[in-house]
Amino acid sequence: MTAVRVRGLTRAYPARKGSDGRPHLALDAFDLTVERGEIHGLLGPNGAGKTTLCRILCTVLLPTSGTAEVLGHDVLAEADAVRRSIGIVFGGERGLYGRLTATQNLCFWAALYGLSGRDLHSRVDMLLARMGLGDRAHDRVDTMSRGMKQRLHIARGLVHDPSVLILDEPTIGMDPVAAHAFRELIEQLRAEERTVLLTTHDMQEAEALCDRVTLVDHGQVIVTESVTEVGSLLARGDRIEAAGVPDTTVLALRKLPGITSVDASDNGTVRVVPNAESGTEQALRLLVDAGVTRISTAPPTLEEVYLGLIGSRGMAVRS
Amino acid sequence: MKGAGVRFTAAAPALPALRPAVQAARVVRHSAAIAFADMRAVYTWKVWIFGWLGRMLAQVTFFTLLARTTGSEEHTAYIAVGNSVMTCALECMSVVASTTWERLSGTLVLLCAVPARPVWVFFGRSLQWPISGSGTSLIALLFLAPLFGVSWHPGQVPALVVLVPLTALTTYCFGLFLAAFVLNANGVRNIVSNVAYLLMMILCGVNIPVSQWPPAVQAVADILPLTHSLHAIRLVSDGAGASRVLGAAGLALLCGAGWLLGAYVAFNRFMARARGLGSADLF
Repeated sequence: MTAVRVRGLTRAYPARKGSDGRPHLALDAFDLTVERGEIHGLLGPNGAGKTTLCRILCTVLLPTSGTAEVLGHDVLAEADAVRRSIGIVFGGERGLYGRLTATQNLCFWAALYGLSGRDLHSRVDMLLARMGLGDRAHDRVDTMSRGMKQRLHIARGLVHDPSVLILDEPTIGMDPVAAHAFRELIEQLRAEERTVLLTTHDMQEAEALCDRVTLVDHGQVIVTESVTEVGSLLARGDRIEAAGVPDTTVLALRKLPGITSVDASDNGTVRVVPNAESGTEQALRLLVDAGVTRISTAPPTLEEVYLGLIGSRGMAVRS
Repeated sequence: MKGAGVRFTAAAPALPALRPAVQAARVVRHSAAIAFADMRAVYTWKVWIFGWLGRMLAQVTFFTLLARTTGSEEHTAYIAVGNSVMTCALECMSVVASTTWERLSGTLVLLCAVPARPVWVFFGRSLQWPISGSGTSLIALLFLAPLFGVSWHPGQVPALVVLVPLTALTTYCFGLFLAAFVLNANGVRNIVSNVAYLLMMILCGVNIPVSQWPPAVQAVADILPLTHSLHAIRLVSDGAGASRVLGAAGLALLCGAGWLLGAYVAFNRFMARARGLGSADLF
């Protein structure tokens, strides 16, 4: 069953002062399908349209045209049904009541989803324990660390037991230990067959967690691919890393056909990026013939694919 | 824990028709926790008594002394009662500002994404004002006004204990209606609340009897709950019959319910507009 189905989704904002007078398209004929139980990553630079998509899916923003469905419910026609089946977690510290305790915060949001009585309190207690906040349940939120607040955000997103969870850069502000715990949580959500739509700038996180990723830029889908296959989009052939490579061999590698780049460091470590499988084979043969024994190969990382397809924008944010 | 989403079945009342009301009451109750947390953060007992209450009693004293220098004893008592009751109306206008705190705390966008109706959240999250305001007004009426010739006998006190919170709650509903519009214009929140309370002070019979205004102005005063609840309190003070008091209180209640209905519609429209414009993002 499809959890999220988006077709031709467009969100336009009125032209800004000083622009060319055309509407600004935050999403431009966007298509996306996320299957139930899938962990799906949305990757793209700032201003690419990821957050706009998340906000349309959780019904806080109306699309200009196109359709979006969550578990078969249209975000416009069946907004209340969508709200009951979707949980949202936006990054950052805001969005909690700092003067309330963690328990009071969760009780409040649970009540807004119709929970009450014993169900409400057992759900809140369970989530606080699961997020490692059981000891801080009765502490005011504004006394908590940023990482704790982020975990509380996630608990809030899960308070009504949603089937689909939207996580918009949820690990912002988390320390490495908390981020690791977050990844374990996502694995638990996968085991529970929940669907997760995750936007992140952390390529390692996306690579470790996601079944498929969609690369987004200028409000459009660049590509949707499984994490294991995404490397093939950038280039053919595995990357090669070798240690103890003589200078003459480095020069020979650079002259080989089918090689995109050869990066050599002062300590004799070399990284070879081929653009064809034949390039990989030739480079490996050359290294072995040169007596190099410490060699490893790996497919292109998601980060390389991202940088290859989107990275030309540098730090520019879409205007 | 399997994600099936929440159904409205937990502790459901016997009559399905009552479910929305029960659900709304739950939302108000949990939202009120925010109100009381804000109250605790703003006031300690000492700060409330010597800061807020002292200031309000000084205001009532000022207007009443002004009246005593220019008018009769009867007029002085009239001003003392009017301004004592006005203190709770003034405090209830703080709902205009505290509603916008949702935008400042970044929770507004999340409130757009829940199935509950927003008005019940906003109704609950500022309830500290009518409660504190009721206390202020009752203290002013029962302990300050007698210094200016107002007398109460014990049999009148229960009526005041009902009518003052009624004044506070119905005026709070009026403030809630204004707050729904100010959510889109955060910069004018203090202007709106100050203009609203000054208008009430002028139009609702606090210092000037409503009957002295032209009919058009009286019509405006008639849709403000303070006009009727203050009239009910004056009737109690004058020793009028229960039916007249209840009639005036009923009109106040009706006005308050009207403003609450208006607030319900206004908050729904605000949310719909915010979704269309994307303005809920701008917090």
